[in-house]
Parts: sequence; C-alpha cells; structure tokens
Amino acid sequence: MAAGYRHIGKATERADARDIVTGRTRYLSDLEVPRMLYGRVLRSPHAHARILSIDTSAARALPGVEAVLTHADAPDWRVGTPRVVRVLDSTVRFAGDSVALVAATTEAAAERALELIEVEYEPLPAVLTMDEALAPGAPEIFPEAPGNVVSAGTPWFGPECLTGVRMGDVERGFAEADAVAEGVCGYENIPNPLPAEPPGVIAHWEEPNKATLWVSSQAAYQDKVVLFFAFGRQVDVRTIGGPCGGSFGSKLMSVQLALQATALSRAAGRPVRLVMSKEEHMAAFVLRIGSRIKAKVGMKRDGTVTAVAGDWLVDTGYYSMTTQAQVAVGCGEAQLVVRSPNWDLRSTIVCTNRTASGIVRGFGGQELKCSILPVVSRVMAELDIDPFDFFKKNYVKPGDGYFWRDGQWYTYRGIDYTTAMDAGAAAFGWKDRWRGWLQPSAVHGTVRTGVGVGVHGNVDIGESVSEAWVRLDPHGAAVIYSAASEHGTGQPSNLIKMVAEVLQLPLDRVTMTPADSAITPFEFGPVGSRGTWAMGGASIAAAEDARRKLLERAAPTLGRDPGDLDTCDGLVFPVDSPENAIRWNAVIGREGSVMGEGRFDPDFTLANCMMTFVEVAVDSDTGKVDLRRVVNATDAGTIIDPPGLENQLNGSLGSAGIDSALFEETVYDPATGRVLNANMIDYKWRTFAELPDMKNVVLETPVDSHRFRAIGVGEVATAPGPSAVLMAVSNALGMWMDEYPVTPERVLAALGKVPARGRGAGGTAAAATDSDDLAAGADR
Amino acid sequence: MRSFRHVRATTVAEACALLAEPGTRARANAGGSDLLGALKDGIYPEPPDLLVDLKTIPGLDAIEADEAGLRVGALARLADIARSEPIRAHWPIFSQAAQAVASPQIRNVATLGGNLCQEVRCWYFRYPAGLGGSIDCLRKGGPRCPAVKGDTRYHAIFEGRGCFAVCPSDTAVALAALDAIVVLEGPGGARRELPVQDVYTPLGTVLEPGELVTAVRVPPPAEEARSAFLKFTVREPIDFAVVSVAASITLRDGVCTDARLVLGAVGPRPYRALEAEARLIGGPIDERAAVEAAEVALAGAKPLRGNAYKVPLARSIVMRAILAALEG
Repeated sequence: MAAGYRHIGKATERADARDIVTGRTRYLSDLEVPRMLYGRVLRSPHAHARILSIDTSAARALPGVEAVLTHADAPDWRVGTPRVVRVLDSTVRFAGDSVALVAATTEAAAERALELIEVEYEPLPAVLTMDEALAPGAPEIFPEAPGNVVSAGTPWFGPECLTGVRMGDVERGFAEADAVAEGVCGYENIPNPLPAEPPGVIAHWEEPNKATLWVSSQAAYQDKVVLFFAFGRQVDVRTIGGPCGGSFGSKLMSVQLALQATALSRAAGRPVRLVMSKEEHMAAFVLRIGSRIKAKVGMKRDGTVTAVAGDWLVDTGYYSMTTQAQVAVGCGEAQLVVRSPNWDLRSTIVCTNRTASGIVRGFGGQELKCSILPVVSRVMAELDIDPFDFFKKNYVKPGDGYFWRDGQWYTYRGIDYTTAMDAGAAAFGWKDRWRGWLQPSAVHGTVRTGVGVGVHGNVDIGESVSEAWVRLDPHGAAVIYSAASEHGTGQPSNLIKMVAEVLQLPLDRVTMTPADSAITPFEFGPVGSRGTWAMGGASIAAAEDARRKLLERAAPTLGRDPGDLDTCDGLVFPVDSPENAIRWNAVIGREGSVMGEGRFDPDFTLANCMMTFVEVAVDSDTGKVDLRRVVNATDAGTIIDPPGLENQLNGSLGSAGIDSALFEETVYDPATGRVLNANMIDYKWRTFAELPDMKNVVLETPVDSHRFRAIGVGEVATAPGPSAVLMAVSNALGMWMDEYPVTPERVLAALGKVPARGRGAGGTAAAATDSDDLAAGADR
Repeated sequence: MRSFRHVRATTVAEACALLAEPGTRARANAGGSDLLGALKDGIYPEPPDLLVDLKTIPGLDAIEADEAGLRVGALARLADIARSEPIRAHWPIFSQAAQAVASPQIRNVATLGGNLCQEVRCWYFRYPAGLGGSIDCLRKGGPRCPAVKGDTRYHAIFEGRGCFAVCPSDTAVALAALDAIVVLEGPGGARRELPVQDVYTPLGTVLEPGELVTAVRVPPPAEEARSAFLKFTVREPIDFAVVSVAASITLRDGVCTDARLVLGAVGPRPYRALEAEARLIGGPIDERAAVEAAEVALAGAKPLRGNAYKVPLARSIVMRAILAALEG
C-alpha cells in the first residue's frame, strides 16, 4: 500500500487538471501559427473508383485559396504496411477517401473551394466485406495485395514477427481431449474508440527539406520516426506534441493527415492546419480491425487445453499501418489466456473497401479474444467447466512460456494473478450467480439475468524503448526531458510523481518539457500499458542518474563518500547528520545544472492481467440488453495514482470496449459502403446518465519491474469485457450468441421472434418484403 | 456551412411573409437544436439562404390551461412543457413525451414547434456533405430512396410510401393520443387547424411555403382517462425512439369506453392503431386484452427487409403501454 512513499500511491493533483477544467489548456485546434492557412479534404462518394478527371480551376480562382492539390501534383509520399497508400491517389478505395486537398486563408473559403472542384469518376466494383474480398475473381484493391490478402508480418517486430501460433501436434492434442468443439465467431462491428478531440495537425514546410509538425498525438515522437520513412528518408522532421484530447490508441499518430498537411504547406509556402470534422473522424480516420475465427479447441475434463487450431481472418479496411503488429500481439496474448502445448493458429489479413484500420486499445488481443473465447466456451460447456475456474487455471503463471510478437520464446517471471481473480470473484459474487452454462442467474417475468467473465493480459507493458533525461537546477527543481505527451491518462503527472519520489522533491518542483522532438530524447509513447514500467523506468533511471551525479559532486564539499549522502527538498546531507545539509546550489553552483540520463530497453517477461465480470439483464420481449453490473479485477503491483487508475478501469465501458458488445458499432450502407452513423446520435455511445454498478478490485502485490514495483493496466481494461457480455447474454437466454453487438434484433432473432439474417448482415440477406416494390412507391 | 441571411421576426405575420418571399429558400428557426446541425452537416443540396428567427416573436411560448383545455404556443420549450404543473396533472403523457426528448441542455432550447417539425433522422437523408457529398434522396426531390436497399433498422413498418423515414417527434405521439389539434398560420393571415397526425405526409409535412405551426390545442381530458407514454431506445438519454407508444384508456366500471393507441417511430406520422383501439373498447382491460390488442395493432405491419424486429418489439411496447396506462 505504498507505505513510506511521499507521492507514490497518493491521490495527488494532476499537473494539468486545473488548466483542463478551466478551459486554459490549448488543444491543437486552439493553436495559431503565424501566416497559418486552413486545410480541407474533398472526399470520395464511392467505395472504389478511378478518378478520370479533376477540374480545380474554379476552386483555385476563389479568393483566399492558396493551394489545391490532386493526385496529379501531390508528392509521392506513402504510408501503410506495406507502403501502398499515397497522399492522394488516382484511385479511391473507400467512401470517404481523399480526392483533393485545399488550403485557404479561412475555413469558409477552404470549404467553399471543395464545392467548386469537379470530379469525374469511373466507379469500380467494390469489396465491402471479407467474404466479398476473398471470393474467387474478386476485384483487387491494391496490386500489392493479390486476392486482397495483405502481406503478413511487420518489419517493426523483426524477421520472425508472429503471424500465428504453431507448436506441438494439434491432431494428437485433439485425440487426447475429452471434448472438442468447433465454431465460427466474429467481432466484426469495427467500433470507433472516438476520443473527444478529432485528429488534427499543423504542418510547416521550409525549403528545401524541413518539416515542423504540431501534432495532437498519443506518441508525439513516433510521428517523427514514422514520417521520416513516409517522406522517403529525405525530410528533416520535427514534431511538437501538445495536450491530446484522448486517443485510446487511435491517435498514436495521424500519419496520413500529417502528410497531407505537409504537402499543402509545401505547395502554399505557409503553415497549414488540417483538423478533421467529427464526421471525418468517425468515417474517414481509423477504426478497430474486424476479426473472425473458425476455431477448433480440445480440452480435458479438468480444464487442461490439449489443442487449439484456427484460421483467423482479420479485416484491415483499405489499409493500416499496424494490423500486422496487432495480429502479432493478439497471437501472443492468446497464449497468456489459453495454455496449451499444441497450437495451430493461422492468420490472414484481408483488405476491403472500407475505412482504414488503426490502433485501438486491445490491439489485436481484444479482437482475437472476442472471437475465439466463445468457441472455447463451447468446450467448457460440454465438460461443464466453470469459466472462472478455467481462466484461473489457464492464465499465465510464473515459469510458463509464450511466443511474443517478435517470434521469440519468453518465460514469464511475474506474479500469480490467481489472488486478484479470487478477489474479483468474491466482490462480484460469482459463485452465487453462476448457475452453469446457458443457465440464467434469475428470471423475473420477461427479464432474464445472466453472468459472464473474461480475462486478458498483455506483455507489451515492457515493450520498446523509452528514453528520458532529468535535469537538476540549482534552486532545487527538476525538469524531465521526455516526449510523454498527455493523452488523457495522466501519464506525465505520474512520471513527475516518480521523479519527485526519487529526488524527494515536492511535486511542484518537478516539471516536464514539451514533447518536442528537437528537445527530448526518443520516446516510443504510452501504449500497451507500458507507461508505468517502460516510460516510468526511463524517467526513474534518469532521476537516479542525476541524483548519483549530484551526490558525487557534493561528496568533496561534505567530506563524505557519495554513498553516505542523501537528498531531500533541494538539500544534500549526510544520512547520519542531516543537520549538516547544504543546498543544491552549493553543489551545482549558480551557473550550471546536473543532467541524468535514463533508458528502458524492451523486456517481454512480465504481463499484466485484467479479469472482468459482468451481469446483464435481457428482456426477452423487446430484446434489450442492459448491463447491470461490472467488476474489474487486477493487480497493479503498486498503485502510482489511485484516481487515475480508477478512471482507466472505469473506461473499460466505452471507447470500443465493453459497449462494443452492447451497441457500439460502425454501420455501413451495404450497397454503397458509406458510413451511415458518423454522428453521435446514430453511433450509440454511453453517456454518464446510464452507468452500470461498477467496482474495480485492485490488488498490490509487488512485482519485479522497477523500484516502485508497479506495472500498467490501463490499455487492457476494455479487452475482457465484450466476450464476457456475450457469455452473459448467452447464459441469460439459454442459447449461444456469437455476434457483436447483441442488439435487440439479434436477441429477438435468437429467440425465434424474427427471421435471423446472415452473419455480419447490415441490412442484406433475408427479405421480409420485396424492396423493388417499395422503391416504386407501392401503396402499403 | 454556407452563409445565410438571418432575420429576427417580431410577429407571426412578418415571419410568414419572410418565409414566403419569392426567390428565397427560407427556413424558420426557433431553438435551432435540429436545423443548425442539419446545416452544419450540409445535408441539403440547396441550403437555405434565409433563416427567420421566431424566438423574437413575443407571447408565442405561452402555456395556458383552463376548462376549454390546453393551449401551448409553438415556442414553448420542451423543458417548460415537461415541468408545467397543469400539463403534468391533466395531460401527463404530453409532459412525459417532452421529458423523453434528448438531454436537459437540448430541452432547454428546443421548442414544441421545432419538435413537431424537425427533420427525419433517416441516416441516408442525414448523410453529411463532408463525406463525399450529401445524398439526394426521394425526400429531397431526388430520384430514389437509397434506404430500401440499405440498412433500414430504424425505418418504417407502417404507411411508408416512397420514403420510409419515420416521424421522429416524441411529443407528436403523445399529442395524437390526446386528440390534439395543431394550429397553422400562413401568409396573409391564413389559418387552419389539423389533427396532429395529419400534419405529416410520407415525404414531409402538409405545411405550405410560408406556413408555420404556431400553437397546439389539446381538449380537456376525459374524467376517467388513464394514460401512459413508453419510449424504447437503444441508449437511454439523448436518443430517438426505435418505437414509442402513447396509450390513453377510459374505463367506466371496469369496462373500456374509449381508447387511443398511437405508435411512434413506426411510420411517417404517429400511427393510430384504430382496430386495436376498437378491440379494447367494450371489454375489461387485463393482460389478455392487452396482448390481443397489441397483436391487432401490429397485424398490418409491413416491415422492410432490415427491420422485421421492430414488429415484435412494437407489439411488446403496445402491450406494456396498455397495462402501464391502467396503473397511470
């Protein structure tokens, strides 16, 4: 319980809290750069089309318009894995794809200019679903993706990047099993994590090859790295991060937007601000990947899994930077939850004519779990195994191993999460409410109650590199040099707490530089719950290094060994005679500073864990599913910031989390591929007026990470919930549900009250009435 | 959003004259909670070039109740209707329907006239210009309705014709069950009164150019009438109905002597289930009667291929509304 700490574990005020709630925080759309222009993007009405001609003459002639770009004159900078998507292209690949760019002196002029651009399209046949994309003879979206299958693996994770899990002998495993189940389940509603602030960037091009970008990103330094390659290694990139109004992964970087703004700035010779509207954010930015698996699982009576085989189809939309990485991490995470000696899990990444996919918290693992756990549930049901007992038995334990994203085998050396799981089950009352598979916990009239449980964990808490410097100033203050831009989780404040704890300074004596790549060292960014251990580790190491240097410099003055000295509140003193303290400025001098360096290197031997219990009430007359109760259980090692952690765990509901099993989904027009619900009325999003009873159980079992023995858990909070909801609804109804979200329509269809439609059907399949009659306006 | 002229009207006559000005595409604006969003989204191929502000017309927000019934001005805000003592006492489903709309912030600006005359929520009609251009559907004078071959989960199961968007107004449903009359005023002092459900057509409303809803009149409630308003939404607050039902039932000595069953969000106008009403009249109201009436109410439903689920859903809500009215 953080005993003996001055700041760690205390509910201290977040460094930026007052500025945010009083409106002083300046987000990207509040920034003005001298001579700045406003950018706008003309978007395609077609899901797939060739641009035959674009007439921009009227737009260029409009007063205030400073630059208009089309595929004919845009630079050939490229993004995507593989690198196939251009700033602008002569083919559009989803309804909402970029067709032309405008920069003007006012937003109104830029918007008006878009209306004056005349485009002639040759519509091409589109593939809107994975089934259409994989059909023999299907039209291809990119020549680089033959058969619409995207190349596996990402260079980011090295030559052995995980694309599946293969070990042992699955046939032997199935033969040894007491029960085997096969099934298809998908998590294909591609929800949008929808941070409050839409993506945006300000770009300033300076000839011949310098680009400065103000970004609203989760990982500001990553923009610099990724853009360097996107610009063909020819451009000197500087990125300046600021407060980011939420991300949930999606705004890790806004690469295509950054390229477009830079291209406009280069063409206009002035800085350009390009901020997406909410509609663009919802339909033309990035969505969660779609996921569907055909799986076969073998199990023994005691819950030992003998074999897992499966073909995992991943819908990446028209492109993504990161889907291969999500597949790799998802495959790694599956092994944390299902312990089996025999695996044959394969993945196929499919591109479709819909919005791009991007990073969304859960990062491959949530998608794979939501798809495969319902199949695992079938085997548990056959053997009458309580899913809580199953997860407890199977979740990774010290000494267990797994292939992680780089294809290497790692042995887990972290804590046993069984205690946290038991604490969660007790808080939820699992043993009282679990009545067996497909058994409701209670039935009152038409309202049937059911419970479910899910679990998830991630080894990326120790991924990638973080670097930080800590500078000690003579007057007893410290500055952290870090690109840890704030994206809503309070991570910079937590780093300040850690550094203040190491240096024994009051919190208000520690500050952080802007996340400016011209100022700070490298920072991979706060992803995969790595903020606490990896980023914290770098800042702690930098603070320890600075402290060591300070004490070494003080040693001659005090006539003692550095090891006999300590520092607190800007004083240095011998531990055995604190009355002989001297001020930092007596050590550093008036002119000067002490700089410490810190670095974290990847470590894939610890994992976090989140178990989520849910109780739902299903109305069998209306099909309405209400989320009644949620209990999240985890162990954070040491809690750095209690309210921040509480908010992270409460965030398990929205942002493409638990609610993606209930009502969050992106709806496409089945005929045209246009997003129909790109607004906050039709994209169902929980409000604060409709919260379930929620409880977070957080244990603190010291873990062997850094000096504060803490690990992060924020990113995983959303991941176990959706499959738990599906399990709970299945139990409430007494029949298996295997599609997300569980809408009234799907519930009523399961109950046989309406005809069921095909998998993933967004208005297709079984016809209740002949539509051509209706189109003709027949009297009804 | 295209720029437009904005004029503050001070009388109904002035507003009607401005709205009927030849050569202009004028729109009336009160709370603006619907219109301004539609303009920002650029949903109209020919956006209005004149907005006539009605909020500056004095006295149009009055709520008056007496023996002759209730009269509510078109500018009365939904929040005021929801908390009006006489409305809560004598026409409670009207208050409940107003309270069921959107959020407190929106109810504080949104008006009764605006709630009755708001644009439909069909997501093809509402498709924003910024995502490849708005959709010129049948309702906007275009060649066809894209919904019929599209995703129709929220569309009509009754009375759709050409267009299958549903009337999104909650208050219209309650008002139809209360036999309310809508007062329309037009240029040159023209004035007419229509039952609320007759204001709507499959492609819009009966309002002529320059015509405005200025008030709603509701007759006094029958002494032994009991009523209920139920709204089924996907999300609780800030959502439009998937199905709503207003039920008003008069019981004398345990026998139903009069009934109104009005379904919302199932068709282009509030849909009165006349045969179901007839089924209720003359007998006791119990669960069996409610189930039977609900069966009859939905017997004529003609769902599209994407919204068959609305039929059993609506049946349940009708049944529950009848039983809830008994409690009311």
